[in-house]
Amino acid sequence: MKLVAITSCPNGIAHTYMAAEKLAKTAEKMGHTIKVETQGSIGVENELTTEDIKNADGVIIAADKQVDKSRFHGKRLLEVSVTDGIRRPEELIAQFEKNEVPVYMEQTAAMKLKSVEEVKKERSQKQNPVYRNLMNGVSYMIPFVVIGGLLIALSLAIGGEPTAKGLVIPKESIWNHIFNVGAASFTFMVPILAGYIAVSIADRPGLAPGMVGGYIAANGSFYGSQAGAGFIGGIIAGFLAGYIVKAIKSIRVPQVIQPIMPILIIPLCSSLLVAAIFIFILGQPIAGIMEGLTSWLNSMQGASKVVLAMILGAMISFDMGGPVNKVAFLFGSAMIAQGHADIMGPIAVAICIPPLGLGLATLLGKKKFTNEEREAGKAALAMGLVGITEGAIPFAARDPLRVIPSIMVGSMVGAVIAMLSRVADHVPHGGPIVAVFQAVDHVLMFFVSIIIGMIVTALLVNILKKPVDADN
Amino acid sequence: MNMTELVTKELINLNLQGSTKDEVMEEMIDMLNRTGALKDREMYKKALYEREMEGSTGIGFGIAIPHGKSEAVKRTSIAFGLKRSGVDWDSLDGEKAKLIFMIAVPTEQAGNEHLRILQLLSRKLMDDDFRERLLDARKVDDVVQWFAQII
Repeated sequence: MKLVAITSCPNGIAHTYMAAEKLAKTAEKMGHTIKVETQGSIGVENELTTEDIKNADGVIIAADKQVDKSRFHGKRLLEVSVTDGIRRPEELIAQFEKNEVPVYMEQTAAMKLKSVEEVKKERSQKQNPVYRNLMNGVSYMIPFVVIGGLLIALSLAIGGEPTAKGLVIPKESIWNHIFNVGAASFTFMVPILAGYIAVSIADRPGLAPGMVGGYIAANGSFYGSQAGAGFIGGIIAGFLAGYIVKAIKSIRVPQVIQPIMPILIIPLCSSLLVAAIFIFILGQPIAGIMEGLTSWLNSMQGASKVVLAMILGAMISFDMGGPVNKVAFLFGSAMIAQGHADIMGPIAVAICIPPLGLGLATLLGKKKFTNEEREAGKAALAMGLVGITEGAIPFAARDPLRVIPSIMVGSMVGAVIAMLSRVADHVPHGGPIVAVFQAVDHVLMFFVSIIIGMIVTALLVNILKKPVDADN
Repeated sequence: MNMTELVTKELINLNLQGSTKDEVMEEMIDMLNRTGALKDREMYKKALYEREMEGSTGIGFGIAIPHGKSEAVKRTSIAFGLKRSGVDWDSLDGEKAKLIFMIAVPTEQAGNEHLRILQLLSRKLMDDDFRERLLDARKVDDVVQWFAQII
């Protein structure tokens, strides 16, 4: 017989290896071959390959720690404590000889309604590193955009006085201070984005070079440009800083210098390098791209606006909070700080339509959904109200071919209506909740867009779906 | 690097005095403390007992490996004690522990090399001949030599 095994224990110092040794020796004595993967404090060693697992007649997991079993779907699998691996390896192997070990079946999507958390977890495991680094930066940046967008919108809406030059806040008014606080928060947006992208790549030493690089990217005066390289520059600065720090960290240095590496050498060298690259090479071209993007958005009229809204709407619902959704979301958020809150408006509408629309569908077409799904429908309504697209995931995971097109069409319709009626959203978040915070311009049309999108989604999904047995 | 850096002569006692688990633990913690391997004796002791609470480290075959990963440890060390008459260690197989390895690992493990050595020792202990030899050891120098051969 060919066996594979995994051993692991909480401290990962001794038991893991004792069990591995014992299993290997015993298997050999009993005339079988075995490969043992150890998950100790040194890390994973002698890792089982897909090939190993494919060829194995059985799997032994001797562990007192959680071991991922998904690789062993369809294999005979015996799960015991690590001490069993040390104490009674003969018995374990004999169970395989006697054919007493059951086959391990992983629960698949079709068998189970996945929760939002499960899907999110799976996604983050599958994410590629570039995307993960980017999203780390974005998640730290968002609060700054929220504070900036919200305070500026509020102070203009309440404290502003209409003049020939548009809304102006009187100098002596308290709202002028609040406006400035919001503006201060915006200043941090790009440096934080860049800093935490770098942290995700190179850990803590990445922070300072990333933030300094981000600041330079955002301030065109460093390289003789008026506009600055904006969020695209920030992203590039973050990745540059991260990889430069990572490279410097991997250089072997004499023991004497080691203590000053993280506080002196690494930040200094990498900051200077990132700064030089931006000032002399990248700054101007990226600033040019940003200017182009802004003037393109300014010049957009009628038909092209509709196309943009359709694309953004479709992207938002396509993977419900996944990478495609986040790209559209990031674009919208970045445009708020560039003075284009009217891009975020349609996105905010599109964000809440999938969960709200599906929730509505479960109320309208009771026969088309299982009991479980109808429960998920209520949760989806609640999540939709606070702008969490992920609320639609349980439905889409079960029946993607009918659900995803329905929500995409619904979000596209909603986004187009919002775009044409100039709905703007000053915070990077979606759903009715943002209207509660006074962050939306043209509130009435904001709700009209959402409601129409919801109805379109609900009707479409109920037409496409077949009735299910109630007790299924 | 090899095992002799982790187990020095002072950390080997072929004739443990204690006759209970607690006495042996005290005795061996003192051995580690005398060599300056510990920053804080009591804190390390606490880590050891916390580990024992999770499940006895008496793994059978007459072996016990009390171990503690703690900030109280200055440098990775192993103390080896022999109790020929055996000590009750709540072992899984009910057998008394005769070979006792007390392992001290700092929380901030500087290099993986120490862990690698512990791994080699753990594997070696599954070797029946090696255990027999240790049980019959008479001279500390011999033991040092056998440890040195573990590569």
